[in-house]
Amino acid sequence: MEKIIIKGRGVMPGKVEGTAMVCPDSIEGYGGFDPKTGVIIEHNHLHKGKSLKDTIFVLPGSRGSNGWSCFFGAARAAGAGPKALIFNRIDSSSGVAIAISKVPTVVDFSEDQNPCELIKTGDHVIVDGDTGIIEITRK
Amino acid sequence: VKLTSYEQEIFDGNHGKLKQTALSNIIDYARILGAEELCEITKATVYCGAHSYLDVVNIKNPQETFSKINLGVDEVIPFDETDSDCFTQSCVCVCDMNCHEEFNVTKEKYQLNLDYLKMASEAGVIIANTCTPYLNGWIPAMGEHFVTTESGVTTIGNSLFGARCNADGIEAAFWSSICGRTPKWGMHVEENRGGTHLFVVDTPVETKQEFDILGAVIGKNLPYGGVPVVVGDLKRVNFDKLRQMMTSVAITSNCELCHIVGYTPEALTQEIAFKGNESKGTITITDKMMKDLYMDICDDTENEVDFVSIGCPHLDINNIKEIAEYLKDKKICGKVHLGLWTSYPIKHMAEVNGYLETIESAGGYIFTDSCPPTIGPEYIGKYHGMVFDSYKMCKNLRNKSKADIYFGDVKACLDAAISGKWEVDHRWKK
Repeated sequence: MEKIIIKGRGVMPGKVEGTAMVCPDSIEGYGGFDPKTGVIIEHNHLHKGKSLKDTIFVLPGSRGSNGWSCFFGAARAAGAGPKALIFNRIDSSSGVAIAISKVPTVVDFSEDQNPCELIKTGDHVIVDGDTGIIEITRK
Repeated sequence: VKLTSYEQEIFDGNHGKLKQTALSNIIDYARILGAEELCEITKATVYCGAHSYLDVVNIKNPQETFSKINLGVDEVIPFDETDSDCFTQSCVCVCDMNCHEEFNVTKEKYQLNLDYLKMASEAGVIIANTCTPYLNGWIPAMGEHFVTTESGVTTIGNSLFGARCNADGIEAAFWSSICGRTPKWGMHVEENRGGTHLFVVDTPVETKQEFDILGAVIGKNLPYGGVPVVVGDLKRVNFDKLRQMMTSVAITSNCELCHIVGYTPEALTQEIAFKGNESKGTITITDKMMKDLYMDICDDTENEVDFVSIGCPHLDINNIKEIAEYLKDKKICGKVHLGLWTSYPIKHMAEVNGYLETIESAGGYIFTDSCPPTIGPEYIGKYHGMVFDSYKMCKNLRNKSKADIYFGDVKACLDAAISGKWEVDHRWKK
């Protein structure tokens, strides 16, 4: 089993592990997924039809509507949100999503440690929101 | 995060629990971003109404829902004030305030929406219910700090007005409007407003629909976190075309500011637009890129249509005048629902000028307060062929509807509404 360790800036504390869902082209705001189930509904999305519930959700940043964060907040209230969040680089919409999701989150990686390339969907990932350390295990 | 003495007073609870909670959330948001201090805001638009995303909790209780979802706390903290120095008005809500049967919306949902708006109004929010706050005087000046829940208003405010705003989110806009502060970060900081990538438009762009397509092509080709600087073959540029372009840039990327050399206030020249940054790359926009984007968003069929919607973002009075002139002495096909979307002052002007009567005589409607996807599935779910004049609407409906989706300019939309059919001649072409 291959193991990779990368480090970013931990911004929401806590340590969790789970299965990664990587979205290199992010997800559309306000309507990209169903907050009641976490199922992705965006037309032509890489993971359309799959649920982000309980995943380690990996994105480069936000995309689209300023209503980006509220679907994460609603998913959290419905128990359908991700277990942890990883963003290549923080932006304002993802910042609010992190504040409202309150799950362990790591952001702002160096340019040679791109989580959207180094992590593959299905990898087992441990996220430490205190230290910013991400441990990736590929079967 | 460094606080002023006034901010510390709010944080200590001296100005009430609501302001304290809102500021505490803003401080947490600032910490997550990496901001070291806050800045004052003087304008806000907030997303009020019984929106569908709230339906994960007990949506029938506005105050309880507001605390749980918008403040992120379990106890109920009444939403009963906004910052007195902040001009706050509402963004779109889930129904026209004057009718609901036209949208297949139940009386209960209509009433619930009014209850949410009443809560916001009593807290000091001006009920405007529009995505075009600038059409009724909510216009941030150059350098003015604001927050908004409308992504197109973020790019319009930053780019066309030279004001300062981040894309934030629905919750943070409420927090800011309550405590009057936002993190001093991102677009609120002068040195972050320089261009990062040059976009050379190598094909003539002239019509409003072409500016819409151009915005989406820029957004789709902009690296995350980039600030585009646009130069090239732009013709007959006006505010109406630029607001359409800014709306589609915002919906396809995380862009908050888009400089257009010669047309936006921080881009008098290409050099000024980059503010000393070295360009990280040049993207040349070709005719093929524009055509490929159009092919991707507009169905390649000729079918009957039963739904035509114009006005994303909401129409200005000149847009409505042109539609009324085109519809004079014409009739909309009986099976087609034609809805034009605008804001209250514009609808009133349409009535004063006789445009409303012309449009209604032809069989069309002028609606306010909302737009088709914001109302929801009960409205948009029953139609089979849908025509829009906006990339954003088409993109949104693709996620939510199995109907044929067509993207036309206003004339093509109206021709389809009159004939009840989308034809190949309605498609965008050079």
